[in-house]
Amino acid sequence: MADVDTKSLNGLLNGIAQIVYYNNNDITEELLKSELYPDLTPEDFHALHEKMKGLLKSVATADMDQSQLEAFLTAQARKRGTGGVSTEQAAVLSRFWKGHRARVRESLLNQSRWEPSLKGLTWRVDLQASASKGEATNSPVALVELELGRAGELCSRLSFQDSDFVCLEFDEAKVNQVLKKMADIQESIDTIVHRS
Amino acid sequence: MSSSHAKVGASTDSSFLGGRIPSEIEIMAKHLKDLDQEMFRKILKAVVNAIEGKDCREAMKVIAANAAIPEERLTYVVAGMYRLLKEALRIPMSSLKQEVFKEDLRELRIPDEFITDFSSLVFGSRRTTLEAVATQLGPRLPSVEDLRWRVDVAISTSSLARALQPSILMQMKLSDGSAHRFEVSVSKFQELRYNVALILKEMNDLEKRSILKIQD
Repeated sequence: MADVDTKSLNGLLNGIAQIVYYNNNDITEELLKSELYPDLTPEDFHALHEKMKGLLKSVATADMDQSQLEAFLTAQARKRGTGGVSTEQAAVLSRFWKGHRARVRESLLNQSRWEPSLKGLTWRVDLQASASKGEATNSPVALVELELGRAGELCSRLSFQDSDFVCLEFDEAKVNQVLKKMADIQESIDTIVHRS
Repeated sequence: MSSSHAKVGASTDSSFLGGRIPSEIEIMAKHLKDLDQEMFRKILKAVVNAIEGKDCREAMKVIAANAAIPEERLTYVVAGMYRLLKEALRIPMSSLKQEVFKEDLRELRIPDEFITDFSSLVFGSRRTTLEAVATQLGPRLPSVEDLRWRVDVAISTSSLARALQPSILMQMKLSDGSAHRFEVSVSKFQELRYNVALILKEMNDLEKRSILKIQD
């Protein structure tokens, strides 16, 4: 029985994470109830669902590490009544969080990004062989396509246009120039990351 | 129909203009007779300016106003010159010999003094400028004119109490006048940097090889 409970609770936490953090619109509270807790009354299930959602939110917002989580769950376990967390539930939560922390954090970071972000790039290097005007120069040209798009929960809900593609042309000098700027950026990031 | 490549080649039976001479050039050749050389040079200068992408409407108006020849004849000459120079400049200098060019023009019965002028334009020092302009005017994608960046660190957000996550905000101004602003996460930035470095390497490699390969 306890084993079944553990599995169902783990399923519930996964389901909540899918809805709240991973933008999976296929999963609903009703689906979770019918699949995982068919025997529970709707009221009881709703209470359980809300409790877990609340716990997960507290854990996620603070981006708790394992020891912070232990302390948090111990404090929750002391609570009486519906707010309390059993030792089994705490163990499931703890295991779940270990596996999802990085991904949830990434998703939360994305929720506060509003500019379109770089999603991908493809490129090709060409050599001009012939032209309608004048003699073709034998210097290579780089063609780069940048995919700029909005990611995140808000955007998928508002169904923003998916992606914007920007095509660019570079000669060798320009590529060199951009590469130098990137070295500057890297340097700038390194100073921040090292200090903190 | 033979391929354009065969025409460009040193075969003596066809002109650098191809098997069929463009009508503008044929008509021009007829109208060049008795044209005063000073006038010819003025028109030529205006046409070259036009090829270089400069506005030559004013110059043309002045020529038309002061010319002793009828406007219709002037238009034939201008159209022919433009076409002739365009065709000649298209062919790499290594494929078109000056003598062949002159001979082809002689066959069109273009007066000798004008042939010399055409020839010094196509094979002279002006060629470099004309080619540079041609490369610029060719079809191309926009290029980056200005790239600005900023590294941000999100300290705290509505969803995350302590984010402390660096990200890069980039702003690109393109040669077509448009501008793009986008965020790049640190991991995407590494990917971008790696790819740009790879592009540069590929270009360098290609340049080493191409010197030997693509040349006629």
